[in-house]
Amino acid sequence: MKHEIREETAGIVVAFEGDVDLQSSPDARKVLLDCVGMGKSVVVDLSKVGYIDSSGVASLVESFQSARKGGRNLVLASVSEGALRVLKLARLDKVFTICDSVEDGLSALG
Amino acid sequence: MNEPLTTLATQRDHPMEAANGTETSIVYDQLDLLSEMSREFTNSRDMTASLEKAVAHITAYLKAEGGALFMLDAAGKTLVCEACVGATEITGLTVPSDQGIVGRSVQNHSAEIVRDVQKDPNFYNKVDEETGFTTRSIICAPLRVKDERIGAIELINKQSDDGLFSDEDLRLLETMCASAGLAIHNARQADALVEQEVLARELELAAEIQRSLLPMERDDGYPVHGINIPARTVSGDFFDFFELDDGRICFNLGDVSGKGMNAALLMAKTASLFRCLGKTIHQPGRLLAVINEEICETAARGMFVTMVGGIYDPRSGIVRIANAGHEPPLFFDAAATCNSFEAEAPPLGITTFLADGDRYPENEFQLAGGSFYIFTDGVTEGYLADGSEMGVTGLIKILLAGADRTAAERLADVVRAIEEGGGAIRDDTTLLCLEDKSRADAAQSIDMEPKASTDYMGDEIMNLQVPSRPDRLKLVRSAVSQAAAYCDCSDEMVRDVVIAVDEALQNVIRHGYSNRADGEIKVTINRTVDNFLVFIRDYADTVNVEQVQPRNLDDVRPGGLGTHFIREVMDEVTFLPPPDGRGNLLKLVKRIA
Repeated sequence: MKHEIREETAGIVVAFEGDVDLQSSPDARKVLLDCVGMGKSVVVDLSKVGYIDSSGVASLVESFQSARKGGRNLVLASVSEGALRVLKLARLDKVFTICDSVEDGLSALG
Repeated sequence: MNEPLTTLATQRDHPMEAANGTETSIVYDQLDLLSEMSREFTNSRDMTASLEKAVAHITAYLKAEGGALFMLDAAGKTLVCEACVGATEITGLTVPSDQGIVGRSVQNHSAEIVRDVQKDPNFYNKVDEETGFTTRSIICAPLRVKDERIGAIELINKQSDDGLFSDEDLRLLETMCASAGLAIHNARQADALVEQEVLARELELAAEIQRSLLPMERDDGYPVHGINIPARTVSGDFFDFFELDDGRICFNLGDVSGKGMNAALLMAKTASLFRCLGKTIHQPGRLLAVINEEICETAARGMFVTMVGGIYDPRSGIVRIANAGHEPPLFFDAAATCNSFEAEAPPLGITTFLADGDRYPENEFQLAGGSFYIFTDGVTEGYLADGSEMGVTGLIKILLAGADRTAAERLADVVRAIEEGGGAIRDDTTLLCLEDKSRADAAQSIDMEPKASTDYMGDEIMNLQVPSRPDRLKLVRSAVSQAAAYCDCSDEMVRDVVIAVDEALQNVIRHGYSNRADGEIKVTINRTVDNFLVFIRDYADTVNVEQVQPRNLDDVRPGGLGTHFIREVMDEVTFLPPPDGRGNLLKLVKRIA
């Protein structure tokens, strides 16, 4: 799994590429918490994540809760069908703000 | 060319020489010759060298110009010169056993003297023609023990002025030949005995290896028992049973055509094929077909194997068998009603063309407290005490009479009936019994349920084993994804199955093996007509099923989602009792709509 972080005016955009599974989710978790720690809201670009498992979802949830605690937001953008299936299974599709694109996500951060 | 036997010559030259011509000396000389030759044969183990020494001794003793020892070949058609001394070298010369003076002597068991060979119509003059030697006189006496013709010793030309032998010479030769014949006979017997002992040892070794191919006898509660009594040292019959990882028991019983070593070798091969292939091919009909292909490819012409192979599931009580040309096995249901399963396909090794394509036809039934028996024709063709054959009727009688006894005792009853009846067992005698007393009580309730066989039966699509390492999950996902697509699962189903297997493996790695990387995980994928099945086997501590519960999803927090995912996407999630009590066996089923 690879990732890329860039800073926009509205917030941090972190893009993951590859599978977020038991092997890579500890890294993903660290990246996500670091982004949240940068003091801005975060857009997570999942367009290039083919597979995300429960541990990956857990990392998203943890970062989301951390961001919220600091009064910021964490939104998901360009969620692939596979990842969306997992979010739906966890009933998290109603918890997260899921945007069609990174641009929409940045706008959603408001 | 051939040195006279020095010890004999010495003995003869001194005490015997002086007394030569008396009856006593002749007797002594006979005994000397016999004991010397016997000793020679025993010590040297080189028959030819010993024969040469014997001929040399006799030739010298009777003062002949030459001597030759002829042996009759195994077929009794030809006399071969095995040793010769003096005049001409004719070792290796062959004479038809009904020709020549030697031939006449051997055929008639008589000593022959020909004072003038040129006048004897039986004289075989070819040698003289070829060598330029002039044969004048011959004495010849047979080597024999009772009626057994061994050969003859022929002496040529007396070392005297006229070169002629006397009747006394003939009598001496005859008696010496009697001793030599006995010595040769004894040596041959000893050789045969040694050879026999070597063969017997080898055979015993082969039998030992064969016995090691049979499964260990299990305790009374185990569902399968067998017995094998070879008619000779080695057996052409065999039986076997072993457990699969999922707890099912694979069993078989076979009979190789013919007896003896060749049958035993084919038996060993077939038994090994069954045990090896039976671990991956779990449909008896298909398993027998694959073994059949192997045997057809390599078996010696005309040899074949009849076999019943089957698989028993202790959980469902379902038995599935395939019969390749074997004696119909018997099934007694709980009410002791007897059914038999006729073979619908030829024995293994006959043809690869099967009516059902790539498999032998199968039969399936519920054991339900009944008993299933497979046996060889050595059982049904065994003699009973009244001299009649046991037959299937006799077998049924013994088995029913022992209904209250354990399976092993009942099988022993059958063998005893044959041993007491016919004396020696004529044919390899082998029986196998499958019965599950622990399920007898469950028989009724099982029948009420829909047939559970399809739950674990079906074709094995894939079987892979990985260490408990997170970095192998991607490999497993990829393989499972391909396997599901291969089984005609829709894209959504493929995706769901992958999620379930991935999450199940995660649980095993994280909770079962506590993130240790050296655990063993096996993933097996089967499919039936309408189900996609995944079995996940691990050897970690057995999980407490009660504790493996999906979490409450309204409580948004990380972790604990995996089990929920699995239950959400699969149609059936069951922890099966792990085989031999170790680890866990999780079964996941997805219906293929």
